[in-house]
Amino acid sequence: MLVSSPLSGKWTASLCLLSTLCTLWTPAVSVKEHDFKKCDQSGFCKRNRVFADNAGASSSWESPYNILPESRSFKDGQFQAIVLKTINAKGDTVRLPLTVSFLESGTARVTVDEEKRQNKEIELRYDSKVRKERYNEAEEWVVVGGLGLDKEATVGFEDKSQTTVKYGPSSAFEAVIKLSPFTIDFKRDGESQIKFNDRGLLNVEHWRPKIEQPETEKKEGEGDGGEKKEETTLENKEGSSSSGEDESTWWDESFGGNTDTKPRGPESIALDISFSGFDHVYGIPSHAGPLSLRETRGGEGKYSEPYRLYNADVFEYILDSPMTLYGAIPFMQAHRKGSSVGVFWLNAAETWIDIIKAKDWRNPLSLGGSSKTSTHTHWFSESGLLDVFVFLGPTPQDLTKKYGELTGYTAMPQEFALGYHQCRWNYVSDEDVRDVDRKMDKSNLPYDVIWLDIEYTDEKKYFTWDKHTFPDPIGMGKQLDNHGRKLVTIIDPHIKNAEGYQVVTELKSKEHAVKNKEGSIFEGWCWPGSSHWIDAFSPAAREWWATLFKYDSFKGTMKNTWIWNDMNEPSVFNGPETTMPKDNIHYGGWEHRDVHNLNGMTFHNATHHAVKSREPGELQRPFVLTRSFFSGSQRVGAMWTGDNQAAWDHLHASFPMILSQGISGFPFSGADVGGFFGNPEKDLQTRWYQAGAFYPFFRGHAHIDSRRREPYLAGEPYTSIIAAALRLRYSLLPSWYTAFHQAYVDGTPIIKPMFYTHPGEEAGYDIDDQFFVGNTGLLAKPVTEQDKVTAEIWIPDNEVYYDYFTYKTIPTSKGKRAAIDAPLQKIPLLMQGGHIFARRDRPRRSSSLMKWDDYTLVVTIGRDGGKSAEGDLYVDDGESYDFEKGQYIHRKFVLNGEATTISSTDAESRDPSSVKEGDWMKKMHDVKVDRIVIVGAPASWAKKQATVESEGKSWPASLDYSAAAHGRASFATVKKVGARIGADWKVVVS
Amino acid sequence: MRRAGVFVLLGTLAHGSLAASKSLPRGVGPEFSAFYESKATFKCIGNPSIALKSSQINDNSCDCPDGSDEPGTAACAHLDPLSPEQPLLGSPTGTTNTTRALPGFWCANDGHIGSYIPFMYVDDGVCDYELCCDGSDESAHAGGVVCENRCGSIGKEWRRLEEERRQSVERSVKRRQTLVKEARELRRKVEVKITSLKGELESLEAKKEELEKKFEEVQRSERGKVVKGEGRGGKLGVLAGLAKTRVSELRDTLDKVLDQRDDLQDRVEQLEGILTKFREDYNPNFNDEGVKAAVKSWEDYAASATGDKKSELADADIMEVLKEDGESSGINWAEFEEEGASDAAVVYHLEAYLPGFVRDYIHTKINVLRVWLIENGVLADNPDSDGESRLVIAAREALETAKNDISSKTTALEEQKGDLQKDYGPDDIFRAFKGKCVSTDVGEYEYELCWVDKTTQKSKKGHGNTNMGNFVRIDRELADEEERADGKGLGKGQRIVLRYDNGQGCWNGPSRRTHVWLACAETDEVWRVSESEKCVYKMEVGTPAACEAVQEPGVRAKDEL
Repeated sequence: MLVSSPLSGKWTASLCLLSTLCTLWTPAVSVKEHDFKKCDQSGFCKRNRVFADNAGASSSWESPYNILPESRSFKDGQFQAIVLKTINAKGDTVRLPLTVSFLESGTARVTVDEEKRQNKEIELRYDSKVRKERYNEAEEWVVVGGLGLDKEATVGFEDKSQTTVKYGPSSAFEAVIKLSPFTIDFKRDGESQIKFNDRGLLNVEHWRPKIEQPETEKKEGEGDGGEKKEETTLENKEGSSSSGEDESTWWDESFGGNTDTKPRGPESIALDISFSGFDHVYGIPSHAGPLSLRETRGGEGKYSEPYRLYNADVFEYILDSPMTLYGAIPFMQAHRKGSSVGVFWLNAAETWIDIIKAKDWRNPLSLGGSSKTSTHTHWFSESGLLDVFVFLGPTPQDLTKKYGELTGYTAMPQEFALGYHQCRWNYVSDEDVRDVDRKMDKSNLPYDVIWLDIEYTDEKKYFTWDKHTFPDPIGMGKQLDNHGRKLVTIIDPHIKNAEGYQVVTELKSKEHAVKNKEGSIFEGWCWPGSSHWIDAFSPAAREWWATLFKYDSFKGTMKNTWIWNDMNEPSVFNGPETTMPKDNIHYGGWEHRDVHNLNGMTFHNATHHAVKSREPGELQRPFVLTRSFFSGSQRVGAMWTGDNQAAWDHLHASFPMILSQGISGFPFSGADVGGFFGNPEKDLQTRWYQAGAFYPFFRGHAHIDSRRREPYLAGEPYTSIIAAALRLRYSLLPSWYTAFHQAYVDGTPIIKPMFYTHPGEEAGYDIDDQFFVGNTGLLAKPVTEQDKVTAEIWIPDNEVYYDYFTYKTIPTSKGKRAAIDAPLQKIPLLMQGGHIFARRDRPRRSSSLMKWDDYTLVVTIGRDGGKSAEGDLYVDDGESYDFEKGQYIHRKFVLNGEATTISSTDAESRDPSSVKEGDWMKKMHDVKVDRIVIVGAPASWAKKQATVESEGKSWPASLDYSAAAHGRASFATVKKVGARIGADWKVVVS
Repeated sequence: MRRAGVFVLLGTLAHGSLAASKSLPRGVGPEFSAFYESKATFKCIGNPSIALKSSQINDNSCDCPDGSDEPGTAACAHLDPLSPEQPLLGSPTGTTNTTRALPGFWCANDGHIGSYIPFMYVDDGVCDYELCCDGSDESAHAGGVVCENRCGSIGKEWRRLEEERRQSVERSVKRRQTLVKEARELRRKVEVKITSLKGELESLEAKKEELEKKFEEVQRSERGKVVKGEGRGGKLGVLAGLAKTRVSELRDTLDKVLDQRDDLQDRVEQLEGILTKFREDYNPNFNDEGVKAAVKSWEDYAASATGDKKSELADADIMEVLKEDGESSGINWAEFEEEGASDAAVVYHLEAYLPGFVRDYIHTKINVLRVWLIENGVLADNPDSDGESRLVIAAREALETAKNDISSKTTALEEQKGDLQKDYGPDDIFRAFKGKCVSTDVGEYEYELCWVDKTTQKSKKGHGNTNMGNFVRIDRELADEEERADGKGLGKGQRIVLRYDNGQGCWNGPSRRTHVWLACAETDEVWRVSESEKCVYKMEVGTPAACEAVQEPGVRAKDEL
């Protein structure tokens, strides 16, 4: 475009072109914070904050929303009414249909719509063809169950001012719906937990026509038209509306050179939600900040911006910030001693959440002026329905379970997905991949998956290979398959706008692309340059998408090829905030503004279904990683925390983020090990691997500009330390897999923060750098600080804790921190007494090569001196859906110290004959329990021999006992137990 | 396959067949057979106090703290420093972070080469034929995987390839010998050159001394003779003389400055070219702050450029100034000097009409004649000279010529000596490659290696050439790569690596570098070029130059099979 000689006559022309291009680039030119909106740059955010400020400033503030008393009805667990919003001094009102549904699960749902829009009785500007209703399809994407109405729910009390509904388990829950102003108080056992509109910040921006400027006036005031216009608008508005609102962002707004035309005008919804007596709230990922959310209205140690949920490609994100990131889960929970409650704000539009905490003086008469802190939140979304689910707990487990009932639980992953993933932008050729594969083996570094970023394609055309650098993808795939390994290739939603590229030709001709506000195919910039975006909201587009992944279509892929979906926020380099214009149009006539936060999930979902069955008869559990996500994404894959940096603080920030994902229903998450941008020092890289060994999703990744850093390049002692961390992960895979199964069953996080496991311990509420792994009792606190050689682990209870590696009994006391030595080669990892967990100790090259290895069980004796310990193990073939047909092993292990036996029984008390064993289960007959290690074994274990009883036989097993010495706890080892892992058995010491 | 991987296998090879006949437990290597011969009990090799029933050998459960009870399973594979440490009584460290008694699982590989494979490869469901061609590493345990014995075909193929390689190596070694000869010849030439330069220098030194003496003599004798004329034109003449000298000095300087400027302008143009191309080709989507800032600045810069007409105009002025002074341009010094003809002047000026080589000859001759004439009083010393007699000048000139000669010859000598000192690799072999280049096509680029000079990436799309590094030194490094069927690979073992540093800088990054790895081949060929990380290139190159150390043990061992 530019000519080489500045003297050339083309210069001027080039300059023009150049400046045009510059405008196009503006949003991407400088990224970081200022590329993304602050609240006051986002019209509805500013309006609602002002609304809140005004309400707060006036002592006589009264919410203008009232239930029309005679509109109330209650039937089959559903309360319905019309809320009237008074919109001016004359008393004109707008009708807002309200539905409060009480669900069988004990969850309540509050939905507010707007009658005029519902009935399409509005006019759109610019002859826009978009839908007139408020977006009402988020539920279709997000909610998969749990909507059954609670027929037992009853109206407990009703009069002119309120309706009270009793619902939930043993009718212990209560919703007090007040009419004037409209509020709801959710109580459990008579105690107030969550209040809606308590502060009167409910705000439904009703439809109104734009009162256009009379043309003549405009002409008159041409010189200073801007000011004039504003004045006039103000006058006009005062004529038609009662409040002195700021209209400047009602009809259009600009940011970074992009103007959003708003054919439907202002339409935001907002609500204040107070958590009575709770001073900790969690959730609403993804943000790079502490697990326990900060206040957002300024002040020492607080944010001054609300938490934002607007999925975006945030380049080099900053830490400790409420700024939006790549994915959104609008699920918030509050915890205090004895109670855990939550809300799920089902809205896919741009959403902001303000949080403040305040002392309650609810009972001024009580002596000593004892006060509780309550957390007051204020939610606002740009468009769509007001649709909120209320969970009344009372435990953290209840929350994750009920939330999962609605949005689905984590998909059962393929087992390989829990292994180590080796990624880099980019492995430059198939040779390079083969070389890395060999070198990992050479250096005894187990791994399961190697990844290809965008450079494998032919000029960023997805579903193609660069024929120079990847001439033989099948040969490469086969080499990986030799050791049971997989390949993950990236496929993004932007499709290169290039001549002769079959995929884009079809995308265009079949109209599967997202459209712009004029209704023609939207064109923007991403990696390939000019691109179009698949509209995965369209069923036909998804069907078409699936065809692209067929083995004979995406040539070069095999059964062991899986997919990585990146840039699906979507990232549009020249769009506002690096994403799509909000007035783009999706399938069904919905504006992008309505569905933005869902976009990533629909694409991820489309890919998931596409790779589930790539040839007739095939049915594999897909592995698809996504960067963007929404509530429900957990059903289709894993996520990672995006583009972090090779810095200690980013390592440190990874655990709060991953823990937050865990409690928010999407636990299959990880951060890029080593840090995406930059070059980690070797000690950082090593520590990061030690930390990564505890990420549910464990992947090393690096930016194209960074130096190569495959762990074998680190050199000694680093490579060996990393190898040991990898082996730790692999040896514990049976327990990780069991934890994933638990997440699949009831939404339990894979790694659990202290408040989750010990909700009664207030001192643990803001601890977010240590966690328990599944139900193993393993308590880890990976080192995330430079030069740190000790870890101070906070001890939540009076249990016994052993060092994982030395069996040392750690001197602990409840609520205190225990110092653990943690030189570079050591991961601070404790075993809590009272558990039994499974390992596979044989080091192998990949997880699939461990499939038939025998198990080691570890029993940790608790403070009861070995009277009891428990644990479980879930195993299946790790790849197919046969587990849905009962083809799995799920054992419950129990130590009974009184009789000194350890037994294994079916965890679900299934009748073994009820399941016809398939191929995998038959093969598992050869897989045994090899050893049982009893850490902290009391003296009753000091025998030479134990007896194993199983399947009608009994045989002796040798038993080694080592008395406690030098701080190490006593331990016993039962050798060659020899019982089948899938069978009932008992080891008896007598 | 005469590479490191195989070396390990060979040490024990000779004994392999001896032990094979006895029925040893699975996986026991021949040199450990003695430990496993007893039928009754087995004592852990490193802990003889621990006695086990023979049924505990290979029972897929680890009993010995050194793992010796499981020579044929993976049950003790976790006993090593890479596994997560656990207490283990009886091991030297008291933990599983210990050393196993056995080097690995023994694959006898009858018909090929026996080898130990890592225990962790045993019973994992993978037939590791590269290491264990007899398939004994899988015992039908792991998901029922059985591996057939392929030693027959693998061994045969290996021997065939080995023979091919051997022959190829023989040919390559011959070629290398030729190259060594060439290099030796080139070295000899350098040595000869050095000798001749040394000789020349010696005689020049002698001549210089002689001339120095002569110069002094002349100076001394002339000091008396010289009549110090007032010079022409009085003070104005002197001034004019001074001014003329000054002006010509300034002109010289200006000339140099102009050259320098042209140089710089060239560079600026090149840089602008690069930037323009960069601006066109860079991917605006990489979200790279640095690059984007650079592009923006470049655009601003480019926009502000008004073209360089101004400098062209200035150039004309400068060219005018630079023109030799004379009647038509600049200052006509003659007007100030007033030519006064003399006898001698005629002789001097005569030269001017002659062609160059004749002039030089005549000049010398005339000088000699002139000096002789003057010395003998036939000719008066040049009265026009500026205070120094022709004789002195001539002597000085002769001396200076000699000095210059010496200095240039010394430089040449140093160069040659330096070249002799320079590391051209073993046997001076790369001396034979000076000035030679090889190249290969990869995608849209051609990559060129100029042996002891530089590496270059040449775009086929006309984006110009990129210097990927200039030769700095010869290193050695351990290669560890898979054998390739076509032999075009680095294989395993010490390889010569030529380092090329300080190539063209990368955006936001360091200068390009190339590591040129050499492996033995019959012809010079760039096999592969890769950029495993940004701006660090690796060239894999086959050349007979790398065919040293022929007596690798692999070859010998094969014969013993």
